[in-house]
Amino acid sequence: MNRGLYPLRTDRKFYAWLVAAALMHVLVITLSLFIWIWESGRHVKTRVVNVTFVSLPGSGGASQVSEPGSAETREQSPQEAKAPSLTQPVEQVAQVPQKKLPEEPLKSKTDAKPSDLTRTLEKLKQSADRKTQVSPSSLNSALSALKQKVGTQGATGGPGQGAGSGRGASGVGFGSGGIADPYKAQIAMIIQKNWEFSKSMMRNSFGMEVYVRINILPDGTVREIVYDKRSPSEYLNMSVKKALEKSSPLPAVPGGQGNPGLWIGFVFTPEGIEK
Amino acid sequence: MHDSKLGIFGLISDAGPLVLFILSVLLLFSIVSWAIIAYKFGAVRKSLSESAAFLDYFFEVYNTEKIFAESERYRNGSLPRVFRAGYVELRALGQVTDMKQAKARVARAVKREANAESKRISSLVPFLATVGNTAPFIGLFGTVWGIMSSFQNIGLTQSASLAAVAPGISEALIATAAGLAAAIPAVIAYNYFTHQIDSIERDLEEFSPEFVSVCIKEQ
Repeated sequence: MNRGLYPLRTDRKFYAWLVAAALMHVLVITLSLFIWIWESGRHVKTRVVNVTFVSLPGSGGASQVSEPGSAETREQSPQEAKAPSLTQPVEQVAQVPQKKLPEEPLKSKTDAKPSDLTRTLEKLKQSADRKTQVSPSSLNSALSALKQKVGTQGATGGPGQGAGSGRGASGVGFGSGGIADPYKAQIAMIIQKNWEFSKSMMRNSFGMEVYVRINILPDGTVREIVYDKRSPSEYLNMSVKKALEKSSPLPAVPGGQGNPGLWIGFVFTPEGIEK
Repeated sequence: MHDSKLGIFGLISDAGPLVLFILSVLLLFSIVSWAIIAYKFGAVRKSLSESAAFLDYFFEVYNTEKIFAESERYRNGSLPRVFRAGYVELRALGQVTDMKQAKARVARAVKREANAESKRISSLVPFLATVGNTAPFIGLFGTVWGIMSSFQNIGLTQSASLAAVAPGISEALIATAAGLAAAIPAVIAYNYFTHQIDSIERDLEEFSPEFVSVCIKEQ
């Protein structure tokens, strides 16, 4: 009987199945890889819609305070003091700098004042005429005092009415300047140096951005750290906080004496600090 | 390509050399297991079907010559092979004088063939049991190793946040997942094959004396 031939035949069969199984595994792995790449491609498409904010909103933001203490912009927009309509807030804010309001409201207000003055003067004159001229000297002095008062009011504008009430000079916000601010660049370098963060620990860098602003006292001490936007990774968030705490005290704010604090915003990404 | 390394392949590409070695071993285990599963599934099914068909013919026709001729059609069946072995032994005896001795020799030949058939049919199956038992542990070893490396990294970065711990652990768990992926089909197939092989062995035990008696009766 051909007993010796039988195992050989079965061996061949088994090897054929072995090759088939190997091919099947290769096929499955290739298919999985293909699906993974395809899925990755889909993720990339969604990432195109990615907005990067350069400046920070609110008082003391980088762009808003690029001209610190600019009283002119405040004076030019008395309408800005009014609450902007909720329907088109952006447009209104955008239009404000274009509008050149060359003191027209001031003139109109001050123009109104002399008419009141003359009316008052006439009234006074009438009352003086009606009365006997008992003390002309005192009347003249009263008139001159009134004239002086009205004159000063016309020059400075009414309290709460005129836009030039000096709000800009005494404003709370104190900006840090633009992107090219040397002080900001200097402290960004210091923070970057103190930032202990390993990118290799991040499996996914998608959406990993931390928007943070710090309040720096004139002597350079970091008084407050505010997260405007946290990243999904708590590791990144905490590393940013540690870096900022470690960097304190920073160099003294140039010309920052008398200011309550300087707000500076940063964007931390796994690639580094975006100023 | 996409910068985020999500997915299994991203995790594998970041794995250490030991984890990669373990994954390779598990892949090999899986390939061999599937080859055995496919090969044995065909062999066992054929053996069962051919044995059933042969038995039908055997109980229908009590002529050994005809049965032997029919058994040649069923080359993969266990019972036809055992019968053939007994018949060949009987023919080898030639003219029999001592019936008791002839019966003993045929019975021995049948038993020997039944044992050989039992071994043949159950060959390679223990490998499935080995894969089913060891693959999860091999995967677990890779996971433990990966977690050890992950904790070392955590120590270096000085952060114990979830974001720092999770990627390393998920990377390490790939090995366990691969171990389970190799083990689960192997265990299922092993249970199926042992059940089928038990059935074939029971048939061999049951019908071997029947074959011997038929051969001797014909003599």
